[in-house]
Amino acid sequence: MKELFFNLSRKRLILGLLTALMGIYQVYAQQTITGKVVGEDDVGIPGVNVLVKGTTTGQITDFDGNFSISATENDVITISYLGFITQNITVGNQTTINVKLLADTQALDEIVVIGYGTARKSDLTGSVSQVSAKSFEGQPLARLEEALQGRAAGVTVAKANGAPGAAIKVRIRGANSINRSNDPLVVIDGFIGGDLSTLNPNDIASIDVLKDASATAVYGSRGSNGVVLVSTKKGKGVTKVDVDFFTTISTVPDLIPTLGAADFARIENSRRIRGGGSAIFTDQEIAGFAANGGTNYQDEIFQTAISQNLQLSASGSEGKIGYFISGNYVNQEGVVINTNYERYSLRSNVNANISDKFKIGFNIFGSRTTTINDLNQFGRFQGSVVLNALSWDPTTPIFDENGNYNNVSERNLASLNYNPVANLTLANVENIRDRIDANINLSYDILENLNYTLIAGATTFNGSNESYRTFRADPPTAGFGDNKNTTHQISNILTWSKEFGQHNVKATGVYEFSGIQNRFNGYNAARLFVPGGFYFAETAPGSGQSVFNNFSERSIQSLMARGEYIYNNALFVTGTIRMDESSVFRSENRRGYFPSVALAYSFDNMTFIENSNVFSSLKLRAGWGQVGNENIDPYTTFPNVQNANFSFNGSDSTPGVAPNSFGNPDLKWETTTQTNIGIDLGFLNGRANLSIDAYQKNTTDLLLDDPVIPSNGGNVTISKNIGEVENKGIDVAISADVINTDNFNWNTNFNLSHFKNEVTDLGGRDEIQGTFGSIDGQGRTWNIIQVGQPLGQFNGATFLGTWKTSEAAEAATFGRAPGDARYLRDENGDIVFSAIGNGTPTLTWGFNNTITYKNWDLNIFFQGVHGFDILNAVQGVIVGNTGNQRSFLAPEQLNQWTPQNETDIPAGGPNEAGSTRYIEKGDFIRLSNLTLGYTLKDVKHLNANVKLYITGQNLFLITDYSGYDPELTSVPADDNAGNKSVDVAAGINAGAYPNPRSFIFGVKVGF
Amino acid sequence: MKTTYNKKIKSKIRYLLSVVIITSIFQSCADLDEDPTIAQLAPGAYSKIQELELGVTGVHARLNDASWMTTFYAPFWAGDDITTHFGSNKAEFREFDQRQVSQANSRVKNNWEAIYRTIRAANTVISNNEGLILTDPGEIETQTRLIAEVYFLRGVMFFHLARIHGQIPLPLVPDPDQQLGLSDQVTVYEQIESDLLAAESGLPDVYPGVNAGAPRPNSGSARALLARLYLDWAGFPVKDNAKYAEAATSAKQVIDNSAAHNFALLDDLEDLWTLANVFNSESVWTIPYCKSCGQPNRKFGKLGNPSDLAGWQETFAEIRFFEDFPEGPRKEATYRTEHDWENFNDQPTPVFKKIVGPIEDNLAPDFQTDRNDFFIRYAEVLLIYAEASARSGNITAEAWEALNMIRRRAEGLPFNTPNAGVDVTTGDLAELAFTERKWEFAGEYLRWNDLVRMERVEQALSNRTPQTSMNSSGELLPEFNPIKGSLGTDNYFAPIPQREIDLNPSVNN
Repeated sequence: MKELFFNLSRKRLILGLLTALMGIYQVYAQQTITGKVVGEDDVGIPGVNVLVKGTTTGQITDFDGNFSISATENDVITISYLGFITQNITVGNQTTINVKLLADTQALDEIVVIGYGTARKSDLTGSVSQVSAKSFEGQPLARLEEALQGRAAGVTVAKANGAPGAAIKVRIRGANSINRSNDPLVVIDGFIGGDLSTLNPNDIASIDVLKDASATAVYGSRGSNGVVLVSTKKGKGVTKVDVDFFTTISTVPDLIPTLGAADFARIENSRRIRGGGSAIFTDQEIAGFAANGGTNYQDEIFQTAISQNLQLSASGSEGKIGYFISGNYVNQEGVVINTNYERYSLRSNVNANISDKFKIGFNIFGSRTTTINDLNQFGRFQGSVVLNALSWDPTTPIFDENGNYNNVSERNLASLNYNPVANLTLANVENIRDRIDANINLSYDILENLNYTLIAGATTFNGSNESYRTFRADPPTAGFGDNKNTTHQISNILTWSKEFGQHNVKATGVYEFSGIQNRFNGYNAARLFVPGGFYFAETAPGSGQSVFNNFSERSIQSLMARGEYIYNNALFVTGTIRMDESSVFRSENRRGYFPSVALAYSFDNMTFIENSNVFSSLKLRAGWGQVGNENIDPYTTFPNVQNANFSFNGSDSTPGVAPNSFGNPDLKWETTTQTNIGIDLGFLNGRANLSIDAYQKNTTDLLLDDPVIPSNGGNVTISKNIGEVENKGIDVAISADVINTDNFNWNTNFNLSHFKNEVTDLGGRDEIQGTFGSIDGQGRTWNIIQVGQPLGQFNGATFLGTWKTSEAAEAATFGRAPGDARYLRDENGDIVFSAIGNGTPTLTWGFNNTITYKNWDLNIFFQGVHGFDILNAVQGVIVGNTGNQRSFLAPEQLNQWTPQNETDIPAGGPNEAGSTRYIEKGDFIRLSNLTLGYTLKDVKHLNANVKLYITGQNLFLITDYSGYDPELTSVPADDNAGNKSVDVAAGINAGAYPNPRSFIFGVKVGF
Repeated sequence: MKTTYNKKIKSKIRYLLSVVIITSIFQSCADLDEDPTIAQLAPGAYSKIQELELGVTGVHARLNDASWMTTFYAPFWAGDDITTHFGSNKAEFREFDQRQVSQANSRVKNNWEAIYRTIRAANTVISNNEGLILTDPGEIETQTRLIAEVYFLRGVMFFHLARIHGQIPLPLVPDPDQQLGLSDQVTVYEQIESDLLAAESGLPDVYPGVNAGAPRPNSGSARALLARLYLDWAGFPVKDNAKYAEAATSAKQVIDNSAAHNFALLDDLEDLWTLANVFNSESVWTIPYCKSCGQPNRKFGKLGNPSDLAGWQETFAEIRFFEDFPEGPRKEATYRTEHDWENFNDQPTPVFKKIVGPIEDNLAPDFQTDRNDFFIRYAEVLLIYAEASARSGNITAEAWEALNMIRRRAEGLPFNTPNAGVDVTTGDLAELAFTERKWEFAGEYLRWNDLVRMERVEQALSNRTPQTSMNSSGELLPEFNPIKGSLGTDNYFAPIPQREIDLNPSVNN
């Protein structure tokens, strides 16, 4: 970008000199006007064009921004400079004119990263959303994903759970794939395969999101889920040091109501008597509970959490060297006891202009994140630990009279799981992830119009898991697993561009290869002789020790060509083709071609736009392309085996293996074909902008896990290229400077996405059972994939209230009695299980406002998600009388069916947690962020700007949903964890970690 | 001027050269051919005996995945010896107990899938072994034994599933795409017979290097299961009476070779259900478990107790069966008679000692135990011999003796010492042996199959109302989980799981 300015200013220099020379021959009476042009920092700007309007008289400013020009009193002087707002000043009687140029943000943002190159925003043909640092600077961020949330139309960012450090789900224009990852490809400074969660938000200059296939086709077989291009900050200009510190106080917004101990005991007595048993609590005991209140385990596992975030950066340039160095420390306590997340990161970006033609840059980034007790690793076989707390017996205290934990309910009531407070307090699972990204980029102008760029980089990321379990494991057990990954990527990019009059042609060619190696080693050590902690694993007896190992690698080799043609700044055409060869497919299916074409037409030069007072720009875009998804595990085309050890003697294991997957040698990638049309409108000289994009994408040859006939091997699947998913939608983005005065500014951004997802084919089947196992001990599957329906269908029973006294005879035929739960049954009398709701939203929006008044600034960010259901299985389990929670715990039970008052709240009979009774609307509107800041400029002695701010996050939520938060899901968003079902099990709440409400106090100092 | 120009050229060349050098350092090509064998044992043809050994151990592990929970035996809650909690989440056991099994019963489905997963593992080993040509005589011997072991496991899996469903598909090769229909009953039995015969011929008298109780099968284990198979074959539904003689001969063969196989009755029934004796000579084939190896048995301990005793309310004893059970040491070894079970708050039903274990073992606090499954006991071989001899019209003194050994031990007497007070030598030997099985194997998931093969389901389940058991208020206890479904032969077998029907239309043809 800097080179661009430099080149342009050099052209202007020549132009300016010429006009200055011509000025000598002017014959009119003139006076000499002198002045200085400065920027917002009051530093002179060299090379600014100073022109007498309507003439060719002009000059450019010198190195310090000074100029001197001849003009008459009636002349108007036009002062213009690329990237700044042009100013017109009538000379009058002034002889000295000092001008402060304001940056034209519109112009500054106009460079967009498009993959293997950049483009001016006005030249774009594809659908690209840009989120620049400016738009999220006003909001304290611990995670970069939050910067994308609600700021880019068509990009859905959902927090799957509120655990510190938890993966955040990012989807671009919906989910394409049923069984494969739908995570977008992340490219950081040209290096493919980054991880947004490890980045320091302060390091980021801009995020460009490639949404349609004409834009993502340059990434070929990895482009089908969209591409997030992240550009980190580079140093330039005077040295700048920034320090940003904020502390966060988080709480769980609202507890879910459950029965108190006394009510619980009363209802439990009635449940038992009704079932033919006798009361289990005496009146005296109940009176005791009424007096002491019992124990609310939900309350016991939550805490007020305090977090720290410190960010430091220094940037600038010295001669030919530019640098950006930053550090970040985050320490987040979880709102659930004994959970924590910590991250350190360091970045150093150094660029050197060795000559006019030869530039080289070296970026290195390192981070360590440590997560303590990631609750997702605790399993959800019978619901999460959070759900265990919600459904735990309020009549059993945490400790027994000897001060030891009560491991289980004293009378085997409510949840059959172990004491959640003990489980959490004694847990010690430490997950450490280290990441180092190092890459060099080298740019060489071979000829005036021909540039060669090399991007070469390597990443190592290691994740180890150390667990030491004492709870319910006596003697204790230690476990260790370590994933070591190394990736490399070499991209050779050749770019040729030339202008021929009104024709502007650019061609890009890429040869690239990349690969990743994974090594896994782990061990388990049971029955430690010395219960001293994880590092005493070697004291386990030989029979308690086991080892695990694995290795895999994958690579991809690619050629890409792109041609861009612009005619008269009005017609824009882009065509690309990429060829990928991927190692995960056999040689005959390995090579794929991914073409795209897009064109745009700008009406800016047309008179109706030039003459309009309202419209300032109009552009129409259309694009088509094909991209792929090759995201299967290495060796999927081969059959494989898994460890299947067995003990013949009751004390030692003998190693064994058993067949696992059936390989399918015919596999190839999924193909997504996408068509996009769009319109960009600018109003009032660019003060307001509107973009609308409509798209349709069809993903065919899905890499589907097709169920094998059970008698051929049990409950297994085989990957096949069958089926199709369609996504259609519309993205709208509006941005405006509503108020733009010296002291008062209001900038607003609104974006909205509406989309419809549909499974259109499953290879001849009507439906495929999902993989989300029920948590109520009933052995059901709560999700299903159905042709003609969106992903995320719930599978469950239809609740019909209670059997009434008048229906006693009919109820008896099903073994039920009046007051029991009643469900829809088929002709055989079996409960019908069918689709009962869908968890995939159809509408998302974000509304971001930044208001500045003098030294004050205010950021207000709303976000909404609509058109989806939630299977609130948590409520189903709280209600109880189900597999693993056999008591009633919900307050509504106080109004349960009685012979006198036949309500529809069952007093007995099996309760299906997966039923329409627990389907709720998930629609919500959230005040995601509210920040009020005050900036002290040029603080004495410090010589710095100091900004103080206070932020509230998740301050309110408008929703009818009764659980903690409708955005939560019980499937972790982290595809690396093998949770491929995240999109097909959307909206099922089996006890996710609650999203906190946070208050943040921060200070930013800029030197 | 010229020098500057040269300098420029020189520096240009220098830059160009450095670009070329830096660039070329990084260039290469991607290796695109995968080699899964770096870290995976390719499940293709075996080339080493060690691979075969790993594969066979893997079949055992798969079988263990099928058998470690009560799901493996859930259909046998239908017998008159076992019941379950009347409420709670035991609906799928109650469906069997009450003879109304839904096609959606997940225990049926999960068991079906776990068994076919084991069969796939066995078929994979058999298929991978085909190309394994060995020369070392020791290795050839091992190979023969291992393959025979796989046939044993496959045969047992088919057999177990056939007892639940009757007609079943019989996959014999690992092929994900085959669409097999249900084989008729005789074909199913013939396949089981063929697998067990192959096992018998390749297995030694005693498997080398294993504990007592044949945790790896020997030729006697295979023959004992053949005896069990022939007894079934002679009964419902095939009713091929000629098979009784084969059942008797097979059982006799095991008895005659019992010393060679190390099979014998334990002196004291109480010793059979202790943790100390999980490997014992009475078990003719044992499915072993190991809690500390991550291979626990989830069928015992906590599962047999009501919530009064902090139990999981799964495997309860039937009241009427308990009332009818002859008093004596065997009843004491079968039930925890010390409990005041008639006054349990949760559900007043007796507790099986065979399930919760003796007091000393203190299994009850846990649902995961180190108990082993005695899939077939030597006592069963003796009783098969007695019953099958009688039903085939070949009543011998040895047949009477086989029955009397069990009767003597049930009374706490030395089983080898004749005792006129206990021994029987007249009467209907077949029926006496059949009834003896009822008491001897109570709670061992065998009773249901006896009722099926003799078509006595209706007779046994028609009146289960308690006759004498009263609570402290003097009220006669009710019958929990009364029969809801048909007791006719049309309802003897469990339905084929819906998922199999959905994915494999051939099973309907």
